[in-house]
Amino acid sequence: MILKVNVKCLSRNIQINSKGIQMQPILEIKGLSKLYKNGRGIKDINLFLNKGDIYGFLGSNGAGKSTAMKIMTGLMKADSGDVIIFGHSVMSEYEKAMRNVGCIIETAESYSSLTAYENLRQISRYYSDIDIKRIEEVLDITGILKYKNEIVRNFSLGMKQRLGIASAILSKPKLIILDEPLNGLDVEGMVSMRNLFKRLSEEETTTFFISSHLIHDVELTCNRVGIIHEGKLISEDYTVDILENHSTLENYFISEVDSNGRA
Amino acid sequence: MAELKASFINEIEKVYKKKKALLIIILSIFAIVIGQLVVFGFRFSMGSRGTDRTEFPLLILSMFANTILPLFTILVSIDIFAGEFSQNTMKVVLIRPASRIKLFTSKIAAIVFFIMVNLLVVMVLSIIGGILFNPGAVTFTKVFRVILSYLVTVFPMTAAALMIVFLANLLKSGTTTFFICIIILVVSKFLELAFGSFKILFITSMFSWYSHWMADKLQASVLSQEFLIMIALSLMFFTAGFYLFDKKDI
Repeated sequence: MILKVNVKCLSRNIQINSKGIQMQPILEIKGLSKLYKNGRGIKDINLFLNKGDIYGFLGSNGAGKSTAMKIMTGLMKADSGDVIIFGHSVMSEYEKAMRNVGCIIETAESYSSLTAYENLRQISRYYSDIDIKRIEEVLDITGILKYKNEIVRNFSLGMKQRLGIASAILSKPKLIILDEPLNGLDVEGMVSMRNLFKRLSEEETTTFFISSHLIHDVELTCNRVGIIHEGKLISEDYTVDILENHSTLENYFISEVDSNGRA
Repeated sequence: MAELKASFINEIEKVYKKKKALLIIILSIFAIVIGQLVVFGFRFSMGSRGTDRTEFPLLILSMFANTILPLFTILVSIDIFAGEFSQNTMKVVLIRPASRIKLFTSKIAAIVFFIMVNLLVVMVLSIIGGILFNPGAVTFTKVFRVILSYLVTVFPMTAAALMIVFLANLLKSGTTTFFICIIILVVSKFLELAFGSFKILFITSMFSWYSHWMADKLQASVLSQEFLIMIALSLMFFTAGFYLFDKKDI
């Protein structure tokens, strides 16, 4: 059981279990920086995720969300800093760090000339414990089982997004990193995916790192929220605590961005 | 090794499903038919003997190794690298628990696999065509020479594939890579013909490396010299190609 003391330890990167033993964070970002030629990028990002967290990563367009997530998953190299996942550096121990990670970065991509089933079969080959049953299970969870033998080229944006989420959860990862996971989904799909994330977090203690423009969804899904503005992590808190002082997460976001802009 | 194997099988499946490989096989069969018709034409109009049963596969190889096979290698290499970058599907594999060196190596292995399959198909069909439609005796030695000539052609094609892979990683567009590769091969062929004494320097001259293996007396110095150049080119382009692949931000 995780003690409530965590709430007070956000900036100190400490998690203590019921026996008083300090626990290793699932994901730890240390002084991450990446600057593009146009001066944009991310600057000295530091954060950590504990087991079972659903962390909402909020920011305006161009704030640096995707850059941070690309570096976290090894798609991009950082100028400085490090990302530690399950105690392994993404920069130097990529395979070990990514062994228990599922993700969608920017857009849910898949091979258009393959069927939904074949796309997941491709991914399953990188893991030793995924069988046909598991592939069908995730297709069912994401609501596209009946389209499993259809070529992805004919899929709608929402169906591709569902396939992307199926790919991300296929290997039963302990950490799932999702960039705009609800893009293109209808209301029913959004609710269904939101419930899926919550269920995985509660039942399997899966940790989530989610970026989204849909603040209301973040408010309903995430237990922790970080705000990135002009490449800097300007604020970070638990959703419960935020909502004690602000009527909505949207108000909190606007006030934090405004106060940072004035500063 | 498990990641390397997984990635290799995936690459094979992707190219196979795109039907490009099938198209090239059809083109290859078409080339064999054209080759046979040309041989028939010579035989009847000029009264010449044409080719014998085991010379026909070598005649096809000389044409095939300088036209369809390099074209096929370019198409597959671009598809596996530049095509995936431009369609944004490269990140599907890059976010898996496999290092970039393993992914790069498996992609190269898949290209070499398709070169070998294409050569095998053309060899078998041309041997059958040669036996069915041409005169002459078939001996084990002659068939062995045919198999050897097709087998050794894998080496220069692999060197060419690594050059194409390097270009595909250097240039962002698959179309640009395609045209640059075609220009390089055409210019190389022209220079090879114009400066015959320096032809060893041009990559297209290596496509005929098999012909040295067909000589009555093998010239070890020529064979090893060209082989070493191919190895050097392969290592150079593999290293440079991987450097670009590894540094690429998605």
